[in-house]
Amino acid sequence: MNYMPGTASLIEDIDKKHLVLLRDGRTLIGFLRSIDQFANLVLHQTVERIHVGKKYGDIPRGIFVVRGENVVLLGEIDLEKESDTPLQQVSIEEILEEQRVEQQTKLENEKIKVQALKDRGLSIPRADTLDEY
Amino acid sequence: MTCLEGPHSNQGPDKSCGPMAPEEELVSSSQLEEEEEENEEEEEDLDPDLAPDLEEGVDEEEEDLGDPAILSAVTNTQRGLPSSPGIKASGALGMSPASLHFLWQTLDYLSPVPFRPTHPSTSSPVRHFGPRLLPPDPYVFCSPPTSWSPRFSHLTQLHPQHQRILQLQQHSRTPRSPAKKPWSRQSDAYANLMTRKEKDWVIKVQMVQLQSEKPCLDDYYYQNYYQKLEKKEADQELLGQRSKVESLKLVTPYIQKAEAYESVVRFEGSLGQVAMSTCFSPRRAIDAVPHGTPEPEIGAASSQRLRVLSWIEKMFLQLLEIEEGKKNGPPQSCYSEQQRNQVEKLFQALKTQEQSNLEETADGFLQVLSVRKGKALVARLLPFLPRDLAVSLLLAVIHHLPLLVKRDAADQVLQMLFKPLGKYISHLTFHELLQGLQGLMLLPPGSSERPVTVVLQNQFGISLLYALLSHGAKLVSLDPSLEEPSSDHTAWTDIVILIAWEIAQMPTASLAEPLTFPSNLLPLFCRHVDKQLVQQLEATMQLAWIY
Repeated sequence: MNYMPGTASLIEDIDKKHLVLLRDGRTLIGFLRSIDQFANLVLHQTVERIHVGKKYGDIPRGIFVVRGENVVLLGEIDLEKESDTPLQQVSIEEILEEQRVEQQTKLENEKIKVQALKDRGLSIPRADTLDEY
Repeated sequence: MTCLEGPHSNQGPDKSCGPMAPEEELVSSSQLEEEEEENEEEEEDLDPDLAPDLEEGVDEEEEDLGDPAILSAVTNTQRGLPSSPGIKASGALGMSPASLHFLWQTLDYLSPVPFRPTHPSTSSPVRHFGPRLLPPDPYVFCSPPTSWSPRFSHLTQLHPQHQRILQLQQHSRTPRSPAKKPWSRQSDAYANLMTRKEKDWVIKVQMVQLQSEKPCLDDYYYQNYYQKLEKKEADQELLGQRSKVESLKLVTPYIQKAEAYESVVRFEGSLGQVAMSTCFSPRRAIDAVPHGTPEPEIGAASSQRLRVLSWIEKMFLQLLEIEEGKKNGPPQSCYSEQQRNQVEKLFQALKTQEQSNLEETADGFLQVLSVRKGKALVARLLPFLPRDLAVSLLLAVIHHLPLLVKRDAADQVLQMLFKPLGKYISHLTFHELLQGLQGLMLLPPGSSERPVTVVLQNQFGISLLYALLSHGAKLVSLDPSLEEPSSDHTAWTDIVILIAWEIAQMPTASLAEPLTFPSNLLPLFCRHVDKQLVQQLEATMQLAWIY
């Protein structure tokens, strides 16, 4: 804010730990090292965090360069508060397994719903089959 | 970024960061700049409070690389561009010389520039873009920093609890600095990968995007907000909060009128056009000019309404120009010749609306007044009008008051006209006043309702009526010659009696509450009307006033 008062700028966030939510749903946590005018981000010591219910797992990813348009939001992580969370950290294999199970149940529920609607003569187009714009 | 003088001009190893201009006048500054850059790369946390020091002169001559040794030592973050002076560079970059000039003046240093001009002219391999200038302080963009904690701008609006928590955190954090966590040691190793120069470069790009010729229009909300904030702080300071709290302001680059450019080049005798691509018009190869298509004929009523609406819009634009002229010009009550012409033109436009018949003229004016925006237009135009024009508008309004009142039933915004019109009521002569009121009294053909009845039921109407009567009473009391029996005097008394009777007739509930209640009304009625009626009037009007 010292640089450009009255605006929102990422300059002040450099070298701080951030949580970045991407448009494809991934959550990245890393140190913001560099930005540019398009809000492309360079994340250092990045970790991809997968959340399933009350559990989460971290996959270390190294250095990420994220194109600005794919970022939904990002926020600074308070390093002191980072550890006190009610969530439970598990291993990568476990969380990936949990994620797979979750996806599966979601798909099954979706299928049942679509079938029920079809029986009643209604059809709701699926979000992923629609064009984005 | 710091200024050149000060504690940072110590000699260091000649780690050349880039070629320098050989010109005489810039040699010393360039040397110092070299040292400064070394210092920057060594220690990033420079004191931000040193005052910036910008050089005024811009040297636009070509620069040459003197030393091939320096050439080879260019770091990978510094890339020069083949530069050529003035217009050529600006043309290639797609920017007007004015904005480019601005860039050079305020934001120059050795920095990676994103665009590379494509002209092949250069013989010498690496040159530097633009002249050597002092690296500017980013704080040039804003007023001096404040001691405000937390370190947000005045635009960050936090919940008071949140703010308190943050303040506590900040206060408690500062004594705890010796207790470093493992992560902080790590990040120190990787910190400042993005150098100050790179940050400044990003900011420069962002600031370029904010260039504007008229910031008070383009950035209206922020500018107005900041003015209010400054005023509030000045007041606070005056009141005794002695701490000089200065909020930072974003000062966006202000450019002069952007230069018009020829994006299409025509050669003599050629059949086509050569498109010169710029960043504003990448491929404008043809003249696509929209020609006005003739409007299809629609229904008469809707087209009439549309015509009135579009007419109001055009007049509003003229009014905005007049207001802008008044705002920018010197604060005086007499207007310049040009402004007066503008106002006249607008008034004529208001009155005539391309209709020649006198009755239709008034009708056009009424149509404008039937629209909410038209009322706003007239209300805002009235302060600019000379007396006689304003009075004619006022009389027209009085004459058609019942009609206006009826048409305003949906919007109920006639009130906005009361203040500007009220100002001109006091300018009316007795004769004009009488004329107006007599016009009001006329029973319109085909309507059984008496005009005064209608008027009394509307707030604007009753306020206007009271104001007119009060003015009349004042005139009569001031000028004893009017007391003599004459046609004017009888007309006046007749009007007063009639209105008094009407007021008495109305049930109190339907009498609208006037915006102002002149004090000389009751005495006026006392003089002309019998006692019983006066008592009745008093009761009615007082009750209405209380409600």
